Parts: sequence; C-alpha cells; structure tokens
Amino acid sequence: MAGVNDFAIRADGITRDFGPVRALDSLSLQVPKGIVFGFLGPNGAGKTTAIRVLLGLIDPSAGRAEVLGLDTRVHGAVIRARCGALLEHPGLYERLSASDNLEFYGRAWHVPRRVMQERIRELLTRFGLWDRRDDPVGRWSRGMKQKLAVARAVLHRPDLVFLDEPTSGLDPVATAGLREDLAALAAQEGVTVFLTTHNLNEAERLCAQVGVIRGGRLLAVGSPQELRERQDSGRVDIAARGLTSEVVSLLHARPEVESVVAKDGRLTLGLANGASVAPIVALLVHHAVEIEEVRRARATLEDAFLDLMGAEPGGSGLGGARGAGGGAP
Amino acid sequence: MRDIWTVAWKEWREFRDQLLSLRRGGLSALILALILGVVAPVQLGPEWVQSKIIVGYWPFLAATMVSSLIADSVAGERERHTLETLLASRLSDSAILIGKIVAAVLYGLGFAVANMLIGLVAVNVAHRESAPILFGAQRFVVTIVLTILASLLMAGIGVFISLRASTVKQAQQAFGIAIIVLTMGPLLAFNALEYETRTRVALRLAALGETRIEAYAVGGLTVLSVIVIGAALARFKRGKLVLD
Repeated sequence: MAGVNDFAIRADGITRDFGPVRALDSLSLQVPKGIVFGFLGPNGAGKTTAIRVLLGLIDPSAGRAEVLGLDTRVHGAVIRARCGALLEHPGLYERLSASDNLEFYGRAWHVPRRVMQERIRELLTRFGLWDRRDDPVGRWSRGMKQKLAVARAVLHRPDLVFLDEPTSGLDPVATAGLREDLAALAAQEGVTVFLTTHNLNEAERLCAQVGVIRGGRLLAVGSPQELRERQDSGRVDIAARGLTSEVVSLLHARPEVESVVAKDGRLTLGLANGASVAPIVALLVHHAVEIEEVRRARATLEDAFLDLMGAEPGGSGLGGARGAGGGAP
Repeated sequence: MRDIWTVAWKEWREFRDQLLSLRRGGLSALILALILGVVAPVQLGPEWVQSKIIVGYWPFLAATMVSSLIADSVAGERERHTLETLLASRLSDSAILIGKIVAAVLYGLGFAVANMLIGLVAVNVAHRESAPILFGAQRFVVTIVLTILASLLMAGIGVFISLRASTVKQAQQAFGIAIIVLTMGPLLAFNALEYETRTRVALRLAALGETRIEAYAVGGLTVLSVIVIGAALARFKRGKLVLD
C-alpha cells in the first residue's frame, strides 16, 4: 500500500472559480513519485489551471493540494524551488542565446557555476542544440525552442516537472523527437513528470498513468492500459456473410447486446460487461450466417478518451468540449 | 541579494544585446553619446565641467534613459510570454521587482558616468590648459547620488506602471502621461501662484544655498523612491500577474 510520502502530488477536492466560471471542480488526484503522469483533456478542460494551482501560483477556491508533501497554499515558494516547469509558452528570452537562457535559470536555482556549465552542455548536447548555443533563441524553429524549454525545466534536476503540452504546435517529426527525448530524460533522471496533452498517442507512449479531465472534473484515472480495457470489454467485431435484417433484429433482442452496427458484411457489437461472445456466435451459426472472423476489439486510448468525453453532457471530444469549465483565463 | 543580481544580470544581458545591435537601439545610444559626450563638452569647454548645472543635468539625462526602457520591464515579459515562466521559478517577488529596478538604475548611472568621463576627456583634449580640468569632488559626488536617486525614482514609477499594463505600448503611454504630470504639475502649480508668492518662494530657495537645496533634493528623491517602490512591491501579486 502506498504511503503519504510515495506521492509527488495529492490533490483533495480542489476547486477553482474565476468569477462565474468554474475551471476546476472538486479535483482529487494522486500522482506517485517517479512516473510520467499524463493529464488529458480538451482545450479549456482546466489542465493549465491545475498546474498553476499545483505550483502555488494561484490558490484554489476550495480544497487543498500537496506537492512533494507541501501545501500549495502555504509553501508555494518552496514547491517552485523544487519543481521545474514548461508552461503554456516556452517562455524563452528570444534576444538571449540558448546558453544565456539556461544560465539565467541556473543562477535563479542557485546551481553551482561549474555544475551548471556541465549540465548546460549535457542537456544541449542531448537535445542536439549544442552547436547553436550562442545563437539568439529568436532565430530558432519552434521545435528547437520547445526542446530548449524542456532543458530549462530540468536544468536544476527538480523532483517534479510540469510540462504543459510540450509538443503542441510541433510537426510530427519534431513531436516524435521530443517525445523520445522526454522518455529518455524521465527514465534516466528519475524525475516525476506531470504532462498535460491532448495528444493521446503521446500519452499512450509516454505515460505510466493518465487522468482525463473535462470541464474541470476528473473523469477517469489509471494506466493507459486500464483505460483501454474499460473500453475493450464490450466491443466485438464479426466479419460474416449472410447477415439478414432478421438476424440483426434477433441480436438487438438479446439482453447482453447493447448495440449492433451491421455494415458491409461486418458486425460491430457492443456487449454488456462480462458478457460472452460464444452464444452470439452460436446464434449466428444457427441462422446460417457464415462467420469468417470474430475479434474482440482492441480499443486505443483515443477510443477510451472519446468515450469519456461523450459520456458526459456536452462532451464533444478533442478540442471542442468546454462543459462547465472555461479553462484558464 | 543573490537573486536580485541574477535578475539584474538577465536584464543587462538583454540591454547589452539591444545596445550591440545598431538597429535595435545601439545607433541612438551612439548618437547620444557623441552629442552628450563629445560635441556638447567641446562646444562648452571648461564650463561643461565646472557649471552648477551638472548637478541637475546628469540626473535628468539618466532618468530619461531609464524611462526609455523601464516600461518594458514587466509588460514586455507579459507581451513576450516569458512572465509566467519567470513567476514559476524560485525567484521571490521582491528579487524579480528589485532586480529589474537595479538593472535600470545601473543602466542610467552607467550612461551618465560614461558620458561624463568621455566629456571630461573631450574637454581636456579640446581646451588644453596648464592643469587638467576636473569636476569638483563634492559636486561630482552629489551629481552621482542624485543620478542614482533620479534613476531609482524613474525605475520605480516605470515598474509600478508596467506591472498592470497588458502591453509595452500601453505601459509607455501611461508612463509618458505620468512623467508629464510629475514634471509639468509642479511648474504649473508654481505658475498658478500669485506673483508676490512666487517671488517669495524663489527668494527663499535662493537663500537656502546650494548645499541645502541639494540635501533637500536627495531627501525628497529618497522618500519618493521608497514610496513608489513600496507601492510597486505591494502591487506585485504573483497570482494576479499570472492571470493577467
């Protein structure tokens, strides 16, 4: 059983209102130390507000949160001293070089000069930016800036790093590159990463656990596999010949069948939790349907996510749902 | 203290890069240095060094230089999306604010001192006399102290305004209005007085003597600077700045 000290983040019913808009609604969450945690949600779901509360930048209207065992209302400064952050924007000084950007934050975190110089070299080399270290950052591509911002966030070897949509706006190649770098970084440095994203592929590949938020409310939390399995349990795809409307009606009439879609010789059935597919196959065979393939569908995290978005009133999937929350102002 | 220097270091790096680029402000700084540091001293000769005017002249110029960049201090960070990252760092509110003020004051002071020294060389080269032409020690010290205080006050006002402005342009406009009110206000108020009252005030000021007026100026600027910087510190609310 996990102890209190095993969690990097513990949020207990945090609510944050901005006037009439509720950006976070009784959010309770526990993030174990040393993992990459993905916080998934559409735009305006409350992800950025959650990070701001957890960093002690803004106070919750109700509830409490502890980061690294420290109350965010009381110990914001200490929390920020022990965390790193890449927020909504890279936050780089574009007139300064990459080295100067990192040196500034290295000084801010009191990293000893020699250690800092070594660390800057190590990170810039790892991210493939060393040769451009003296260029003003304003001349760099967006992908390079994002990498530099990630390097800045981990420069002082924090215990916990918040990354707010680190691959947002990057092309697929840059996204894949940064994702690999993040995975390597998390594995090698043993740092807890709290990552917000609406890139589900990224979350599936990177995260040990994910939480799904919409309208400021946490809808689900677990490993990507657990979320997929919830979705998997009821879906069966059947390729068959000889499907008639009578057979489809018979399937509809069965208590364990929740949905039936028949199209182009394929049946997609939604079965109740725990229901077996064998009686369905027997029924089809009995009615002279020639079955070519029966497959339990493997849901992706995206299927699970979209299902969660659709399960709540007003849910409209990625990028569209706002629900009760309006996100960060 | 260390964190204040860290912020000042970053601000200086940005000024430096701005000054080294002719297009981004280096050229105007060079022209100013040429006029104030060479042309004016050569034309005015020893008077440029020995006049009482320098006690007000250099603080005024330094404050003007500070005013040209201080409006950018917080509003610029907000506009360029660097403010939230800065606020999410371990730097304290006072280190961020005072670091920015210190950097601006050093910029104003550096500008004034550099031009004074260049001018001193120019005067001595152009108007060679048997003994070197130098600033009086007391006047030089008073000039430097007033230059620091005038820059401090200007930086304090600038940061105070910049804290709430959503863009650099808005901060510059508000700052411009504040400066006009602060400089023209006392003059207009003085002119609104009856002729006899004005004469009485002028005579009283003249009777005070140079040293006392300087002491009052130092005291007044110190008090105003403390009030303005105190107000800016009170206005610096991390949670509000993040949401602005």
